Amino acid sequence: MNRRSFLGWGAAGFAALCSSVAVSFGAVLRYLVPDVFYEPPQTFKVGKPADFAYGPPTFLADEKIYVFRDREKGFSVASAVCTHLGCTVNHFQSDDRFHCPCHGSIFAANGAVVHGPAPKPLPWFEVTLARDGQLSVDKDKVVPSTYHLMV
Amino acid sequence: MNFFRDIWNSIVRRDSLSTDKGKSELVFLNVWLHIHPAKVKKEHLRFRHTFYLGFITFFLFIILVTTGIALMCYYRPYPSQAYQDMKDLQFVVFLGPFIRGMHRWAAHLMVICVFLHMCRVFFTGSYKKPRQFNWVIGVLLLLLTLGLSFTGYLLPWDQLAYWAITVGTNIGSYAPLVGGQLRELLLGGHTVGQAALIRFYVLHVAVLPGLVGLLTIVHFWRVRKDGGLSRPLWKLERKPVEELVTIGAPAEPAALRVSSAAQSKTYGLMEVVTGKPIFETVSPDEEEDTVFAYPYAFLRESIALMGTVVGLMVISILYHAPLEELANPAKTPNPAKAPWYFLGLQELVSHSALVGGVVAPALMVLALLAVPYIDRNPSRRLRERKWALWLFSAFVVANLVLIIIGTFFRGPGWAFIPPWVHVVAGAE
Ligand code: HEM
Ligand code: FES
Repeated sequence: MNRRSFLGWGAAGFAALCSSVAVSFGAVLRYLVPDVFYEPPQTFKVGKPADFAYGPPTFLADEKIYVFRDREKGFSVASAVCTHLGCTVNHFQSDDRFHCPCHGSIFAANGAVVHGPAPKPLPWFEVTLARDGQLSVDKDKVVPSTYHLMV
Repeated sequence: MNFFRDIWNSIVRRDSLSTDKGKSELVFLNVWLHIHPAKVKKEHLRFRHTFYLGFITFFLFIILVTTGIALMCYYRPYPSQAYQDMKDLQFVVFLGPFIRGMHRWAAHLMVICVFLHMCRVFFTGSYKKPRQFNWVIGVLLLLLTLGLSFTGYLLPWDQLAYWAITVGTNIGSYAPLVGGQLRELLLGGHTVGQAALIRFYVLHVAVLPGLVGLLTIVHFWRVRKDGGLSRPLWKLERKPVEELVTIGAPAEPAALRVSSAAQSKTYGLMEVVTGKPIFETVSPDEEEDTVFAYPYAFLRESIALMGTVVGLMVISILYHAPLEELANPAKTPNPAKAPWYFLGLQELVSHSALVGGVVAPALMVLALLAVPYIDRNPSRRLRERKWALWLFSAFVVANLVLIIIGTFFRGPGWAFIPPWVHVVAGAE
């Protein structure tokens, strides 16, 4: 074996070593990303329309959403998760706004940021009527705050 | 009895401690002790040079490992069990509150001591050549200590735990490009739930303590390889540089005299084997300023150890580790505060998650890591490093001020409320 092919093979070997290390690293990283999440589903039913009163929104703790029911416009669903760092916001009837206890963000009734540090408005989720007559919410479908479901 | 003497002699192979050879061999022949030199400079034993802060930090870590293993015997990292187990530790396990208290208070103290240790190293200029890299290792140890605390406080699965981790990991998700994935990787999901708890547990009891252990070994090893501890500042003040020589610089006759004196003694072995590990500038008579590690250094270290253990025990008997209500994802406590050492960060974050939570801390860490490479001023004398001292003091004060604001001046809704103003609970 001459010097040139020795260097060539050496370089190829080194490259092969490096890439197998990189691939193994990537594989371990991928291993750490679960393929199955044991988490509450993003789409879920919240009950019959008649279960919800008019007036102040209903807070659903497990789903972290507020369900609004308006006489004229119908149903709409807002996220209760602060867009700053994920604390659960509280809806105050006194000023009809959402207040975050963690760093003081305030959101208007339509979700818009009234006071920082939250960078984005609270998202609204699509709500539909399922075949069994229950309201169904899909957290993967973000809709404008004007979206309503009339039943 | 020959039988017992044989056993003793098979374990302990050194000469009697009444001889110098025995004292040296005690150190050389013992795997745990030989991180020390056989003889140490008297000046390094002085409390006012190191305040023994590094030792105390290390002892706290040992206490954390032992009490942590004790806690592991009861603790199950599963949402429906974890809080229950904490309650058991509080109320039905013999010595449970005490062990928990030791673990919790040692964790707090360790954060304090790591930080103070870093300040000591900075103010004495001990990060300068040849110790630059050991400073970097130290900064990593500081970060790992904070990481241990962060992962540790999800484990009790109480309200503080749940919301601190929710907020903390959301800060991470603001990191550009990788933020979201990073959070998902850490939590093993999209919210703080069972997957997050087991991952934090693994980090807390295996990965991070392991890394701290490994880096601590490197840290100690390099202290030796960098020529032992730095000289105390008051020694620098006393003699002008010209009168000093460098041990190991062979051209100097005086230096040769010193090293040949060392060679003629057993305890000089390390020096002979490695050539010249000492880069310190010392006067020719410096050699006489040393004492055997046994008993002088060991005695002092033992006192520091005893003091740490006894102090912690007293604290743990007097104060129990707090435990809040069971984690409730639906109800964020108001105000929701992280433990005090993260309240500075939380204060920053309350102004902007990206700048305060990602950019500022990242810059701070980078600056800390780079300290020995930015500060190229070779002098360790206080009056010759005004800039460095001012800058670092500003860094320390800024951190303290942020923590104090976050701790005492923030009320419900993170509103600015001085501690002397009383807020009626529940008035929203
Ligand atoms: C530098 C080292 C460490 C720090 C700063 C630290 C910090 C913490 C903190 C803040 C907690 C929450 C304590 C509480 O709420 O009572 C905790 C809990 C825990 N730690 Fe550590 N820890 C450290 C090392 C270890 C080690 C080495 C182990 C085990 C090998 C361990 C095992 C545990 C366990 C099982 C818990 C859950 C029980 C509990 O919350 O009290 N820790 N740790
Ligand atoms: S999480 Fe709502 S303001 Fe920070």
